[in-house]
Amino acid sequence: MGMNKRKAVYVPFAQTVPLKYTIDRKACLYFQAIDKGKKGKCKACEKFCENDAINFDQTATTVDLNVGSIILAPGFQAFDPSKWDTYQYTNFKNVVTSMDFERILAATGPTEGHLVRPSDKEQPKSIAWFQCVGSRDINRCDNAYCSSVCCMYAVKEAMIAMEHAHDPLEASIFFMDMRTYGKDFEKYYNRAKDDMGMRFIRCRVHSVIENEDKSLKVCYVDEQGNIQNEDYDMVVLSVGLESSASAIELGNKMGIELDKYNFAKTSDLTPVATSKPGIYVAGCFQGPKDIPYSVMEASAAAAAAARDLASARGQLQKIKEFPPERDVSGEETRMGVFVCNCGINIGAVVDVHEVAEYAKTLPNVTYVQENLFSCSQDAQDQLAEMIREHNLNRVVVAACSPRTHEPLFQETMSNAGINKHLFEMANIRDQDSWVHSADHDAATQKAKDLVAMGVAKANLRVALQPIEVPCTKSSMVLGGGPAGMTAALNIADQGFKVYLVEKKDVLGGHGRKLRKAFSGEPVKPYLDDLIKRVNDHENIEVHLGAEPKMVSGFVGNFHTDLTTGASFDHGTVIVAVGADSTKVKEYLYGENPNVMKWWDLDKKIEEDPDSIKQAKCAVAIHCVGSREPDRPYCSKICCAHAIESAIDLKELNPDLDVYMLYRDIRTYGRLEELYQKARSMGILFVRYDPDNKPKVEEVGGKLQVTVTDHVLGRPIVMSPDFITLYTAIAPKGTEELANMLKVTLNQEKFFLEAHMKLRPVEFSTDGMFVCGIAHYPKPLDECIAQAQAAASRAVTVLSKDKVVIEPIVAGFVDKEACRGCGLCVALCPYGAIDIEETPEGRKAKLISASCKGCGICAATCYRHAISINAFNDTQIEAQMHAFLNK
Amino acid sequence: MCTGRVDPALVADAFVNGADGVLVIGCYFGDCHYITGNFMAKHKLDMATEMLAYAGLNPTRLQFRNLSSAEGARFAQHNTEFVEQIKEIGPLGTGDKIGMPKLKEQLGIAYKALAGPKLRWVVGKKPVFTEAGKGNKYGEIFTEHEINRTLSGIVIDEMATHSILAALEKKPAAVKDLAKDLEIPAPEALKYVLALKRRGFVEMDGVEGTSPIYKSTGIEG
Repeated sequence: MGMNKRKAVYVPFAQTVPLKYTIDRKACLYFQAIDKGKKGKCKACEKFCENDAINFDQTATTVDLNVGSIILAPGFQAFDPSKWDTYQYTNFKNVVTSMDFERILAATGPTEGHLVRPSDKEQPKSIAWFQCVGSRDINRCDNAYCSSVCCMYAVKEAMIAMEHAHDPLEASIFFMDMRTYGKDFEKYYNRAKDDMGMRFIRCRVHSVIENEDKSLKVCYVDEQGNIQNEDYDMVVLSVGLESSASAIELGNKMGIELDKYNFAKTSDLTPVATSKPGIYVAGCFQGPKDIPYSVMEASAAAAAAARDLASARGQLQKIKEFPPERDVSGEETRMGVFVCNCGINIGAVVDVHEVAEYAKTLPNVTYVQENLFSCSQDAQDQLAEMIREHNLNRVVVAACSPRTHEPLFQETMSNAGINKHLFEMANIRDQDSWVHSADHDAATQKAKDLVAMGVAKANLRVALQPIEVPCTKSSMVLGGGPAGMTAALNIADQGFKVYLVEKKDVLGGHGRKLRKAFSGEPVKPYLDDLIKRVNDHENIEVHLGAEPKMVSGFVGNFHTDLTTGASFDHGTVIVAVGADSTKVKEYLYGENPNVMKWWDLDKKIEEDPDSIKQAKCAVAIHCVGSREPDRPYCSKICCAHAIESAIDLKELNPDLDVYMLYRDIRTYGRLEELYQKARSMGILFVRYDPDNKPKVEEVGGKLQVTVTDHVLGRPIVMSPDFITLYTAIAPKGTEELANMLKVTLNQEKFFLEAHMKLRPVEFSTDGMFVCGIAHYPKPLDECIAQAQAAASRAVTVLSKDKVVIEPIVAGFVDKEACRGCGLCVALCPYGAIDIEETPEGRKAKLISASCKGCGICAATCYRHAISINAFNDTQIEAQMHAFLNK
Repeated sequence: MCTGRVDPALVADAFVNGADGVLVIGCYFGDCHYITGNFMAKHKLDMATEMLAYAGLNPTRLQFRNLSSAEGARFAQHNTEFVEQIKEIGPLGTGDKIGMPKLKEQLGIAYKALAGPKLRWVVGKKPVFTEAGKGNKYGEIFTEHEINRTLSGIVIDEMATHSILAALEKKPAAVKDLAKDLEIPAPEALKYVLALKRRGFVEMDGVEGTSPIYKSTGIEG
């Protein structure tokens, strides 16, 4: 970033893989001389490096690879605001970009995570964020598009800064439209606004003046048209995303077409395919987007490539070999405890050293180490090395959440030849430093308790072996809309059987209501072709008018009975059941025939264009039922759809007055072009306040709309021929299905993915995946990409012959204690226990592969005969005692 | 693991080891990640609360609440609220029906009752007994009220039985002394002692005056 000086030998950034130093050729004295054709001198680093790790002869090498497909994911570069004189980024020290600010907040950054302003290293008391710097701008740069992510990251940065600051911090965000359109984003925005007291000011700041004390005078015109001057200690420019020169060069070298903003050109109907067959694109090179969507698109690109290469599957596969496991059952317990700083995430709150010292006093602990980042590659290597060196047979890592990081550490255990279940995590970040940042002493004490509990449990851990079961190589796809069909086709094309189940009697879903994608491409021919390919595919069995009645089994081994009587076995499930429109009780809907929902307007455009040609005035009301207290989310697609339809109206009848009554226009990414076009065509945008919604009345048999204009500050009255309501999209009947599949929903009853960023299309239940609007409202291109992603993830299961199940399940029946009473059989929600006849009488028998490890049996058994692997009574008691009897 | 895994004996164990409060948070009813686990948890914790309250614990100290995994803020709110409530009551032995060290002893007895077969069996059977189409061996369906009444009876019986056993493990005693020490009516105490004798947990240890003296056989219940 250039925010701090560094040496000529440096680590490019904190998370580099591998985490190794490199030489900056331009700054190195030796290479400076060589490059001038002189004899090089210095080489001091070579002399000082004890491990002889410096090699001055290393040069770039060219490697030739033969590949069947290419995926481009070169990412983006942040917009450089140096050329903007109004914000004086290069001249005023306390004007920084959002990327600079990320570094200021980062543990590994120039200020080690302390929130200080660059001019005097003092903590700022007030910070202003300026949105849309290098986005939505055709005056100072050519980036007409919206960068899609800046609204959310600015709110996030402000939120973190407010939490980080020791003294109250005033955070203001100067924005044009607040675009928190993603899943659960609106709630985050509401929290920032209502709970944290963040200020949101709607305007573009016209200039910034530096005060004598280096604070900044922000000059802007407020919504009432008054000139305001406010002083801030710092200004953060929320810079947009653009393609870098190297990405553009890469694109040109590959011979793919780029769009006018230099992003890879794709179609809404094939969102990850470039103009050249076999070359796919994922991430921001396809267009600006956030992490969840980038990760999802990466899977989609993988699915597209895998489809091309299906016949060659497995040819270059290398199987990872682990060293043989050491049998530690007879060994004395030797425990290693690794306490992580997580940069400053933990270290800034918890006294990690004190925790480490404390860990040394705990039973059987023979080795303790503090780490900066326990999850980094070198820390992993070291962990394996310490296991070998100290002959450790139990390991406790006190760091973050096992949900995200346990598998990583467990793999390292395996690499070191130790059974991975001899590992335990103490979550001193998510459950401690992050939530108790205000009380360092208490947080340190809690970290000690958590470590003591982890050690107590680890002392009682035993080696467990995974359970392997065969995999049925077929998938069930629920929902026959564009998402379901896309997923089904991709899986089928990769050579696996698909059962496509659709509730209605026809395929197509909501795709049938769409006239065109936001790119303008017509949907009907695409959909017809999709349906035909699905119906003709030898690997796809379509079940129309059908719903699942019962779904049993587990990953690789599901069995489903449909309401039609059909039944089949399958290895995975993809949920693409979509969502529905909501009931409307406002704006005279249902009372006046000229108040319509959006697809009624689309139909009118298609079927009755004459009525539009004769009309004089049309009104569209946005956010009907969305972003309301009982539905606190944005339905994401309505803004662009409303504008697209408004453009059609205007094209049919240029004299028609078209009013859009909106709250924020959320045409993210390239959709911004639609908004721009609409305004240039003379479509009028009037912003309304949710507390003062537009009033729709019938006056003398005609519709009348009254709304307070945000510029005039006065009510204006319109007499439209018709009104279109852009109603919310909401899930319908998902609860029943979720219960049947044993998957989870979010608060608004959309299906909940396992992890927003790391596992965006997977459920936490193995072998089940989600895509399309059932996950959250999204436009067609995103539905298609997400469906490809879900297919990609499903194929990772189907392409293997066996499914390996984690042995954290009911693992043990004490046959002597068991009386065969059958109480556990009656209570097990998964049918995972049976009674068998033995010479000693009737005894309970476990079906481990069906067991999900809930533990109801263990808590119920009156003979204490069943125990849960890794969560047995002695282990839980030991953890409690470690906490209570300290 | 599910709240259905929360063994009532584990809860009692926490109190015996000095916990001032135990808060169990599970999914919303009908929204359980493990289908029915939270209902099981509710049955078990209701029973544990009754047992522990009978043993002398302030029942506010054991609570079962519901949340979804998406409600981080409410999770914190529940915890804060609970901690406030417990702080108001004070440490274990203050604000309870009986004080320390007697309370700890009583909780130890409750632990044994909760780990014992009788309560576990009945509470385990509760969903089966009350569910339409299932019921007991004869197909009789019971109402929640009927089951709870049975459970309340068992709570009283189990507390008395395990108190007597604990007392006899310490030293042999006559029924009238047991009745006096444990504040159980003498005819009731005799009934419990005879039942224990029949099951082999207690035997005669001689006669003092006209009263038979009983002792523990040392068999684990």
